[in-house]
Amino acid sequence: MDALSRPAVVIDNGTGYTKMGFAGNVEPCFITPTVVAVNDSFSSSAPPAARGAPAKGNWLAQHSAGVMADLDFYIGEEALARSRASSTYSLSYPIRNGQVENWDTMERFWQQCIFNYLRCDPEDHYFLLTESPLTAPETREYTGEIMFETFNVPGLYIAVQPVLALAAGYTTTKCEMTGVVVDVGDGATHIVPVADGYVIGSSIRSIPITGKDVTQFIQQLLKERGENIPPEESFDVARRLKEMYCYTSSDIVKEFNKHDREPSKYIKHWGGIKPKTGAKYTVDIGYERFLGPEIFFNPEIYNNDFTTPLQVVIDRCIQSSPIDTRRALYKNIVLSGGSTMFKDFHRRLQRDLKKIVDARLRASNTRLISGDPKAQPIEVNVVSHPIQRYAVWFGGSVLASTAEFYEACHTKAEYEEYGASICRSNPVFKGMY
Amino acid sequence: MILLQSPSRFLLQILQERVLSGEKGMDIDCHTVEFDDVRYHIQFSMRNPKVMVLSVSLPLPPPEAILHDDLPLGAVDAIKATYGPVVQILDPPKDGFDLTMKINLTKLPPDEEQRNAILTQIASIREVVLGAPLKLLLKHLASKTVAPNVDKLVALVHRPNESFFLAPQADKVTIVYPMRFQDSIDIVLATSFLQEFVEARRTAALNNVPSCMWSPAPPLELKGVPADALNANAGFVTFVVYPRHVESKKLDRTVWNLLTFHAYVSYHVKCSEGFMHTRMRRRVESLIQALDRAKSDAEKLKKLVHGASFKRMSLKNEGDSRF
Repeated sequence: MDALSRPAVVIDNGTGYTKMGFAGNVEPCFITPTVVAVNDSFSSSAPPAARGAPAKGNWLAQHSAGVMADLDFYIGEEALARSRASSTYSLSYPIRNGQVENWDTMERFWQQCIFNYLRCDPEDHYFLLTESPLTAPETREYTGEIMFETFNVPGLYIAVQPVLALAAGYTTTKCEMTGVVVDVGDGATHIVPVADGYVIGSSIRSIPITGKDVTQFIQQLLKERGENIPPEESFDVARRLKEMYCYTSSDIVKEFNKHDREPSKYIKHWGGIKPKTGAKYTVDIGYERFLGPEIFFNPEIYNNDFTTPLQVVIDRCIQSSPIDTRRALYKNIVLSGGSTMFKDFHRRLQRDLKKIVDARLRASNTRLISGDPKAQPIEVNVVSHPIQRYAVWFGGSVLASTAEFYEACHTKAEYEEYGASICRSNPVFKGMY
Repeated sequence: MILLQSPSRFLLQILQERVLSGEKGMDIDCHTVEFDDVRYHIQFSMRNPKVMVLSVSLPLPPPEAILHDDLPLGAVDAIKATYGPVVQILDPPKDGFDLTMKINLTKLPPDEEQRNAILTQIASIREVVLGAPLKLLLKHLASKTVAPNVDKLVALVHRPNESFFLAPQADKVTIVYPMRFQDSIDIVLATSFLQEFVEARRTAALNNVPSCMWSPAPPLELKGVPADALNANAGFVTFVVYPRHVESKKLDRTVWNLLTFHAYVSYHVKCSEGFMHTRMRRRVESLIQALDRAKSDAEKLKKLVHGASFKRMSLKNEGDSRF
């Protein structure tokens, strides 16, 4: 029995949530917040300069306290609960805006993922990790180093998130690896064109509006309207209201009218308990329901610095891609990430994008002299599927269960032969299309 | 986390979700693998949303370990005794698995605390099945007898193709683990970890715990065991368990800890590697800072000018800015 006969482990580390599980399954085993609660009380009390001089017993006590502190940390929901309950733990978010910032806590996070959550032996499984399209090769090297040196994984593949999101749209009849991935996560929004499984690096667009901004906007609206929410909870409440009630409207003005005509139908109520006093309170949520997601389509209502709507950015992204891929790209625009889960988000995006494309087509057709061939209409297709929230993970699960995956992996033997630099590039493999 | 927990987190999560979700059913069909190559296959069907079919496959047994119908001695009885009417064993098991069970969630006790207790026990299926023979022997130890018709030396499955050995006596049970690791660094770390482990046992606070020894060569208890089973590269660990360690409540915990000793050591070896890296990283950072301080002012200035030559771009002015 060797690692090849066991399912690979797929871990998708996002800014907000980490999705992990075994390849071949439809759903990840665990979706937990990417956060580590570290016990700080030991590390600050032991000054490194005072070594050797004090009595041996004292040193030993300090040493073993330090060792225990190394094991004294929690991840995910447990971490949040612990830090709320006591002040000895401080929260650390190892990933910021899609990039790993703190390698110490990241290593600990992986350690707990593997041993405490998945409970597997890392030596027995191949690993598939993900990275954002803008990750530097050095980061990949570092990831490889930790995986091979600390966990002794037999094989590792680091996949680009949007490519996996495309792979998630696989069906038995259609294996399309060309498309634009609109990835709206909690900490980063990227628009990434992919042609035949290769990312077109020069055309990637990022916009500074993310899931977190939607939450902040809702929080701000609730505050301005004077809703009675305890300040320490208001962000968390706004996030939950966003996840439960928000939807995308087709036209803001019509939507406002609808709400005014039938407030009872559209205004939702949410009840909570104040953490300090234990008193109950209720929140009305009305216009926020459609205004929250609206900041993607009309960013000027939220932010004065960035005013380009999402559909315009997508259009520019495709227009800057190689000309022979553009039609295929318009045809396959794939949504991924938790913040695209708003109801009718894909319909709205498709309609707005189609408007831009059709206008351009009409303009070019009017310039034609009679007798010239007319341009074919362009098909615009925004694809949405029910597993959008963990589409990246699902794509990883699909790819890691193909036989080609094991050949594309960097193995431990290769790592020992060539060093961490092999992790800089990860080949696109046949199973992808 | 210092000790590994007995219930499988994933199984427990699925069970609890299903109990709380009410009548609404969804198809679930998933595989998971746990350390030491224990595999689970979990199935729920639309038609019977409250019935879970759980298949378990156990590590491949080494030739010296004795199984009864592919299951460890006493496993079937242990399952019946632990779960009662909730669990029904299906015979024959699914292809590729050693045990298939039908878990009927409608037969759970209505009281929440009791229900959670039994769900946790279902999630600990590994302990119940693999630990059955160990539990049997230790139960006899608690009553200070030797189980009838048991050999002088019993081999139990520990990991795929690996076993550990028990020498049961009326007043004590000696347990010997041959420790094997794949990676050369792991072997070194594990060896020193085990030596520390034995050393730590000697401190005054731990007087009542089972005595523990480590030796590079097989101890005398393992006389007559085939040589294949004794090629350990990280030495042999011996525990001596006395009746006081297996009194009523302690029994389950002792069984679980003995059963997963290898996983425990390997977890801590990986942890120590991680902590060494943390410290190495910190050291490198402090050295880089020291180097930075040693740089002359002229060099620093140059760096700054160099850094400022990149022009920041935003989406607004991308049309007109060219490098």
